Amino acid sequence: MPDADLQLYPLRALILILALGWLTACAAPFDPDERLTVDVPTRASVPGVPLIQQEAFYCGPTSVAMVMQWSGHDVTQADIAALAFSPGAGGTYLADMIGSARRKGQLAVEINSFDGLLGEVNAGHPVIVFQNLGLGIAPVWHYGVVTGYDLQKDEVYLNSGQLDQMVMPFALFERTWRRGDFWGLVVLPPDDLPATAPETAILNAAAALERVEQYHAAETLYETGSARWPENWLWQFGLGNARYGQGDLRGARRALLRARAIAPDIPEIRANLNHVQDLM
Amino acid sequence: MGLFNLTKTGIAVVLSAQLVLATTAVTMAQAEMLGTDAAISKYTQHQDRAFLMEELQRDDVQSEMVRLGVDPAEAEARLAALTDAEVASIMVQMEKDNAGADIVGTLFTIFVILLVTDILCLTRIFNFTRCVR
Repeated sequence: MPDADLQLYPLRALILILALGWLTACAAPFDPDERLTVDVPTRASVPGVPLIQQEAFYCGPTSVAMVMQWSGHDVTQADIAALAFSPGAGGTYLADMIGSARRKGQLAVEINSFDGLLGEVNAGHPVIVFQNLGLGIAPVWHYGVVTGYDLQKDEVYLNSGQLDQMVMPFALFERTWRRGDFWGLVVLPPDDLPATAPETAILNAAAALERVEQYHAAETLYETGSARWPENWLWQFGLGNARYGQGDLRGARRALLRARAIAPDIPEIRANLNHVQDLM
Repeated sequence: MGLFNLTKTGIAVVLSAQLVLATTAVTMAQAEMLGTDAAISKYTQHQDRAFLMEELQRDDVQSEMVRLGVDPAEAEARLAALTDAEVASIMVQMEKDNAGADIVGTLFTIFVILLVTDILCLTRIFNFTRCVR
């Protein structure tokens, strides 16, 4: 087949060009001053994240399982795969990573910068990252869990679906993560807030727990958030709704009364308060 | 006469249907709790806009705008004209650019991009700016 031969040449040239691009990219070292806008310690690590050998194509479910086992839950990669894995795609979509964690009653918030990544690791939270470990034309999409870093040694530590810890130089990690659009996911029990996520993102994560009927987890998260942001009535409003979802009318009323004390003029608070009081 | 009667009946039917619908709508609102989701998206975006507007009023931000030839009143008018989704995208952009370290710098970058470079078609950062070329 001479045709096939001919077609190979442009492909080879392309691979060569890409390989050269790769090498040039390798030459650029990771500059923390350029990539970070907050001060972080030189090194940090999160102890106690288990190393789980992933089954074929299960890097996503395995990553969620590792983080949930770290926070004390008894879940396996198969449990998460049942909620997240798409057999037709041979992988796990980003949205299903988030969704599966929430359906397991976890607080799941995305981060998308080195500020967020290193900030969370410093706060003692492992972070799931989405990487492309292959070349641009032959992507190898992968999820791993960042459990630590050392700027001085130029190392990022990952639990990456193998029984050995993976160690990557910052520049290499940066390139693999950049091609995953710097997508990262913090998965925590609902009484432990992400250190770097904005308040609105955490509020939305709590409302998402209500949507999947994880009312107890939502309640815990609203309580935790209301302690950190006591002046925002939305935490008490959500708390009222989460308690109502569990049939706890008295608890819902208490929370909605607190919401009304913070913000007397919000019609939504009054409507829900009336509704709860009508049922009592 | 027959036509007149028909019209009257028609109007009556429409009016009573409307009445039934209106009653149902009110009952529905009372029959279930208003969701947290909707409240969050309604009230946090108000906060975003109020926050940006407040920042624009700051002396250092205003003097910086004047220095670069941006009319502060025009900046406010532009902000007021944006939809909630567009305001939200500015907030996201700001959080990405700068994690709250230097609000003047970030606001400034955003508004200069928004007002000057995008409008002059030099950049295409926000898809809602109208390019004048």
